[in-house]
Amino acid sequence: MNFNQADKVQEYSLNGVPVGILVVNGNDRTCIPLVAGNTDYQAYLKWVAEGNTPLPAEE
Amino acid sequence: MMALGNLNVDTITTSTSGGVLGAGNASIMKNRLINGACVIDQRYAGSAASSSYSGYVIDRWSVAQVGTTGKIIAQQNAGSVTPPIGFTNYLGITSQSSYTVGTNEFYSIVQTIEGYNIADLGWGTANAKTITVSFWVQSSLTGTFGGCLNNGGSRSYPFTYTISSANTWEQKSVTIAGDTSGTWGTTTGIGVQIWFNLGCGSTYSGTAGAWASANKVAPTGAVSVVGTSGATFYLTGVQFEIGSSATGFEYRIYGTELANCQRYYWKKAGQYPSANTTVGAGMLYSANDARACLANPVPMRIAPAITFSGSGFGFERPNTFLGTIGSPAAANYSPEASLIYSGSGTSSGTAGDATFWYITDNTSYIAVNSEL
Repeated sequence: MNFNQADKVQEYSLNGVPVGILVVNGNDRTCIPLVAGNTDYQAYLKWVAEGNTPLPAEE
Repeated sequence: MMALGNLNVDTITTSTSGGVLGAGNASIMKNRLINGACVIDQRYAGSAASSSYSGYVIDRWSVAQVGTTGKIIAQQNAGSVTPPIGFTNYLGITSQSSYTVGTNEFYSIVQTIEGYNIADLGWGTANAKTITVSFWVQSSLTGTFGGCLNNGGSRSYPFTYTISSANTWEQKSVTIAGDTSGTWGTTTGIGVQIWFNLGCGSTYSGTAGAWASANKVAPTGAVSVVGTSGATFYLTGVQFEIGSSATGFEYRIYGTELANCQRYYWKKAGQYPSANTTVGAGMLYSANDARACLANPVPMRIAPAITFSGSGFGFERPNTFLGTIGSPAAANYSPEASLIYSGSGTSSGTAGDATFWYITDNTSYIAVNSEL
């Protein structure tokens, strides 16, 4: 997943519990689990490590 | 009376021309690669990927454009040539320019085998087993081509093979003594990566024919497909098996191979107007929040990411046709199933109503991804 081309990268919660990372890219909404072995989540962590910041979390 | 005893063989050649039976006792799970015959293409259904694309194309096979993108186009059956006998599909690459690959760049086709599927090789131990990689390849170029085995970054084995005749299918095999060093994944992570080089800079090129503690994806000096505009590289019948010689390709029942692919990726596409596509059953958590179970067709490698593409998502509730689902999202991910819900939408339903999720047009889809 290419986070640098995303319209929006945001942590999100359900019923007050953080459940994933939402990446909006054009007409695509990708929901990424907070699971270490998921390669999309690994790409997100790399994107953050490179100095990027997601939008504030929302429900 | 027939005498009993042991018979040790690598290959058994049949009376059918060119026919070779499986090796020894490896008649099941012989080929550790999935979709080696390039039949299954859930993402693109035979269409070409964008030249700027770097990622999975046909199932389990991805293309890497590390450096400047736009140098290759990947497509199932690109160029519409006749596949080798016994095959109906191949993965085709077409070079988009005459590009000189930079030092830190590489262009490749790669499949990553999950650790569980190579755990018995014993790599990283003194009992490491020898393997053989075999494949059919055709290119508009000739010369010494290359590939590489890699454990995901710290051990690699570049290899070479020769394409003698342009635009002609040739079958190749490479036998490699297993790696007795390094760390090789044996569970849900990376096991072995097999790379087919299309062009590689010096940083990621290494000496062919030897294991090294390095992150290489190609042998030094191999033909660069991206170096010639319009050059083609076609690949199919790829097999990775235990043993010191190549045996006949392990064909698999279509449904079995599709399920093998769906462990890593599956897609539910809209079929409207023939029908709304049922996604899952659930309930209304509130008037505008339809929640449903998205069950995976097979247990996936790991909790997957879920992409909702398009805007054609809706739900049915008692005595009423569809409400629209706005801002679809997922939670409670697991290899078996996930919760999908509507972040917003239109409804005058009542919390607790039963509901079905649907895809309501023929362009929207849900993609579920746990690829390596």
